Amino acid sequence: MMEYARMKFYCDESRCIECDGCSIACAEAHELPVGISRRKVITINEGIPGKEFSTSVACMHCTDAPCEQVCPVDCFYIREDGIVLHDKEKCIGCGYCLYACPFGAPQFPRDGAFGAKGAMDKCTMCAGGPLETNSEKERHLYGQNRIAEGKVPLCAAMCSTKALLVGDAQSVSNIFRARVAARGKGANAPYGWDKAYKNQ
Amino acid sequence: MTNSLGDIQKSKAIIIFGANPAVNHPVGFQHFLKAKERNNSQLIVIDPRFTKTAAKADIYAQIRPGTDIPFMYGMLNIIFQNGWDDKEYVDARVFGMDKIREEAKKWTPELVEDVTGVPAQTLIQITNLYAKNRPGTLIWAMGLTQHSIGTSNTRMAPILQLALGNMGKAGGGTNILRGHDNVQGATDMGCLADSLPGYYGLAEGSWKYFAKSWGVEFEYLEKQFKDKSWMSKNGFSLARWWAGVQNVKSDEKIENAGTSLKALLVFGNGITSVAQQAKIKEGLDNLDMLVLADPFVNEAAILTDKKDNVFILPAATQFETSGLVVATNRSAQWRYKVVEPLYESKPDQEIMFELAKRLGFYEQYTKGMLMQETKDGKLEMIPNKKDFVWPEDATNEIARIIKTIGLTGWTAERVKKHTDNWHMFDEVSGAGMGPMKGEYYGLPWPCWTKTHGGSPNLYDTSISVKEGGMGFRNNFGLEKDGVNLLAEKGSFPKGSKIEAGYPEITKANIEAVLGITLTEEEKAACGANWKVDNSGILVQKCMEAGVCPYGNAKARAIVWNFPDHIPMHREPLHSPRHDLTLKYPAYADKANHFRVMTKYISVQSAKDYSKEFPINMVTGRLVTMNGAGIENRASKYIAALTPEMFCDIHPDLAHKHGIKNGHMMWIHSPEGTKIKVKAKYSYTVLPDMVFMPFHFAGYFQGVDRTGNFPAGTKPFASGESVNTVTNYGYDIITQIPETKGGLCRVEKA
Amino acid sequence: MKKYLYMFIATLALASVAWATESQIWGEMRIQNILGYGQEESLKLGVLFTFLQSKYFAWIFLAVLIGVPTVFFVHYKLVGPKVFPHSHKKHYAFNLFHRTVHQIAAISFLVLVPTGFIIVFGDFFGGGTLVRMAKNLHGIFTIPFAIVVIPMALMWLKEALFNFEDVKWFMILGGYLSKEKQIINATQFNAGQKMWYWVAILGGITMILSGAMMFFLDFKMEMLHNLTGLSQIDLLRVAAIVHNVMGFAVVALFITHVYMSMFAIKGAVNSIITGYVEEEEVKFLHNAWYKKLKEKGKF
Repeated sequence: MMEYARMKFYCDESRCIECDGCSIACAEAHELPVGISRRKVITINEGIPGKEFSTSVACMHCTDAPCEQVCPVDCFYIREDGIVLHDKEKCIGCGYCLYACPFGAPQFPRDGAFGAKGAMDKCTMCAGGPLETNSEKERHLYGQNRIAEGKVPLCAAMCSTKALLVGDAQSVSNIFRARVAARGKGANAPYGWDKAYKNQ
Repeated sequence: MTNSLGDIQKSKAIIIFGANPAVNHPVGFQHFLKAKERNNSQLIVIDPRFTKTAAKADIYAQIRPGTDIPFMYGMLNIIFQNGWDDKEYVDARVFGMDKIREEAKKWTPELVEDVTGVPAQTLIQITNLYAKNRPGTLIWAMGLTQHSIGTSNTRMAPILQLALGNMGKAGGGTNILRGHDNVQGATDMGCLADSLPGYYGLAEGSWKYFAKSWGVEFEYLEKQFKDKSWMSKNGFSLARWWAGVQNVKSDEKIENAGTSLKALLVFGNGITSVAQQAKIKEGLDNLDMLVLADPFVNEAAILTDKKDNVFILPAATQFETSGLVVATNRSAQWRYKVVEPLYESKPDQEIMFELAKRLGFYEQYTKGMLMQETKDGKLEMIPNKKDFVWPEDATNEIARIIKTIGLTGWTAERVKKHTDNWHMFDEVSGAGMGPMKGEYYGLPWPCWTKTHGGSPNLYDTSISVKEGGMGFRNNFGLEKDGVNLLAEKGSFPKGSKIEAGYPEITKANIEAVLGITLTEEEKAACGANWKVDNSGILVQKCMEAGVCPYGNAKARAIVWNFPDHIPMHREPLHSPRHDLTLKYPAYADKANHFRVMTKYISVQSAKDYSKEFPINMVTGRLVTMNGAGIENRASKYIAALTPEMFCDIHPDLAHKHGIKNGHMMWIHSPEGTKIKVKAKYSYTVLPDMVFMPFHFAGYFQGVDRTGNFPAGTKPFASGESVNTVTNYGYDIITQIPETKGGLCRVEKA
Repeated sequence: MKKYLYMFIATLALASVAWATESQIWGEMRIQNILGYGQEESLKLGVLFTFLQSKYFAWIFLAVLIGVPTVFFVHYKLVGPKVFPHSHKKHYAFNLFHRTVHQIAAISFLVLVPTGFIIVFGDFFGGGTLVRMAKNLHGIFTIPFAIVVIPMALMWLKEALFNFEDVKWFMILGGYLSKEKQIINATQFNAGQKMWYWVAILGGITMILSGAMMFFLDFKMEMLHNLTGLSQIDLLRVAAIVHNVMGFAVVALFITHVYMSMFAIKGAVNSIITGYVEEEEVKFLHNAWYKKLKEKGKF
């Protein structure tokens, strides 16, 4: 059986240094409004020796994506390569996907009066949206479509320590395993993989 | 940096003093991480603050600011006691280690614990780890240098490396991480108050060499000074220029040819990131004229109350010009122009050219670019060349003149070729492949000749001079007090004709040292020594003999021309341990230190500051910003990540003063200044210290001055400059401010 | 006088909602829902919400939407409406203030309930402009309801307190299962109305608060975190679950309320329009009140 290459994110916690290069690169690349972070770097246990680590999180493009399950207007769709995208023209900005998301990925721009939220915005793995590929409108609504151009998503391309990787599951796993083997420790699955990819 | 970032991947141990590469060199830090990953390298971090680098360390020591020397003596004590020092190496290549041994004996782990605050066990553990994993590389940055004893700190670190035989080895060395784009190049070009370009001193000989190289008369240069004696005197430094401005209140005597500073011209220097902000403001206010050339509004213009004669010139960014830049590992890279300068902005050199034209020295200023060396050691105008081509001709002029650090091989053509073939060099060693074989990426200096491939690691004797090998430099004579200062027999760069130490090569000694005879033509052509030899014959002969032009000597652990012959611990001027200031007092006050009397002991002994100001204060950088931060704060995405000035404070200390997380607090300094900042609870600092970044400006002692920005130029984020409260204190040699060891008092706002 | 007090309270309630929108945290990049290793989702609320929303909520709403009217349709066919003559004496029971407050609430509900359903069945409507408009109307029409809910609560509070007679009312379900006109010993409001009062008031306030949380997302209320120990994202999840579950009850009773006033008791709706209640209606369905009014010499 032919298996489609499944696209994955992997952030190597022993390499991530919270430089925020990924999040700034993302914001610049897609010309996001300030306050919308498709990607965010977090540090856990800051200042506690032996326990502090940082990681970069965005939409993980989960298998059985919870956002897709809860959306009342069914605006999500999952590509064959596993990238979870959504239709902003369908989205009503209800926020349900945010409640379901284990990673806090969905972002909501303030839109119009009374603090009403506009259509949800999230990481597209630089794969645009349902509109015509690389059209002006796609770029405006979803940002760059680098995947269609055969380019790496900008966050990973810009990562200063090459902690953040993105690619097909096999290649990502190979790099992960090689790094773990070289270090001789830290064989735990990367952060978020249990939730996003059911550790597969 | 003696080695390179890539070379760190070869280290078995990495010890970092007062540097935070994870934040300040995020891209370079991948080599540290890869060393850990691929080479099982042990990462040791010694820092007052649990930095992002410390978070990746195998072992971390939280040291009291300004006590690195005791810590390193503590390490040496353990090393000597256990016989872990590389005796053979020390005997052959180091002068004066015995004195270090003596001093080290005093620093028992218990004493070190008392002075530095690092538990004796941790010191022993770190020493064990570092001594047993060789080669080890030693990293430092501003955490080591920005002290009144900064020079001693930076001597102490190489001594530790020498004792372990780690100098001049791949995977070893002392690797100082330069903090800004091309700051190595700026230093090499002599943007300093005490040297000419290429580290040529201020002696008459150097001036004469430059006069000749620039094609001007020595007398012409001399005339630019009040009298000849001022040519060889240090100028004001960046740290203390303000002391020379008229009407600045100070009891410190100025020696500035009987006059005061009238005008200040600033090219891209974040003046608001320098210590003593209140005094800087006073200096700016009292100038006759202030000119600031920057892509963004230099916040000095915001800080000053001066209303007239403040000029803001729009300088172009690095993307709007091209030229050679130098990386932290002494390697060159060509930077191509990306876009034409926007609007009315101009690249720095054009601003300077225009200025030179109006001041009437444009011709002399640019003449060097139209000259070349001849085979007979003379200089001539390049035939039929009327105009120079920027920046290629400037690059070639630099290559022609700067011989001290071996920039001879850095022609524009070669550097461009390296940049264009970037992919043909090895990530770790920098060695070229294919058509670039035999050269190292960016031709790290010394790059002795136009065919030399650069020197990847300084002082490495395991490779030949031709391949970038060398011993230590002979710069201080042949012997001291009857002890040989040259390397001992058997210690020499591979393939050398001379299998022992030798002096630096001069016209007078070349025949004797190399055992060759020069022809009469050669003799007539070559200069007095290798540093001023326009013919290049001296260097050429050295290369043929596998000999390093600057000699093969011993590294000095004793520097007899410095106030402390060997590095000695001296407490910061403002020390939280008043008892220790009596035991380890500061230097005597120094008159005419870069033209201004500079205080040491008189400040330190004035009172027990720790009673009123019990909190240690350290400053540093954020990963999102650099320098004074103006260009970063003008980026909306970066400003969103770090929107305001803050102070990292331990919750215990904050509770004691009733300061809540996210609420405002005052920081008072012994200088009588204060700043109002937002408290940010953090466990990265101890309860007796606070940390603040130095990237903010626009507020001064609680007053918002951002109204001074010309319309439309205000950055997205502004805040207090921490340098308003950094304490008085300057290094005894370099006059770098003591911003990494000061005191303060915190208060709820 | 009392009226102004109500208005004042309502303004305060509204102002507090408005204040919550003035948070500066919109710029704080993202609503934190990563609590750290091991701690994250310690309450499993995200998983619970996903489970409920993906599997149950829409179906339950559909059941309520179809089930409740069906039951009443059957009731109407089998039992039929109660008809009282409307020619007798009347009592002026609801003054203009009562009626205005009720009407505002009524109009709000007439928008809130259908728009709520459009959101719940958003995929049926294909998302986009229509559903987005429904969502916005759902938010906007919360405002009039939020204004009147407290005055409404206060003006009928006394009448809505349960008493012993209400137990009996529940035993016979208010006599609505019988075609005969029984005399029901209820006060001004019977137990069914009281139930609706409490669901509409308490449920309504709950809906407003949980709805506001979901609408504003990044409201900053230190107090709520301290009180509940929940992170922002978990608060939002609780709000979403509560809003849906409470929605079932409110919608079910709203439909009941409409059915009762419009169909089950013919013409009952007129009393809230004109303010006059019919003597016959009161005598049978609210006998205790009737007696009291008689004593006072009304009718």
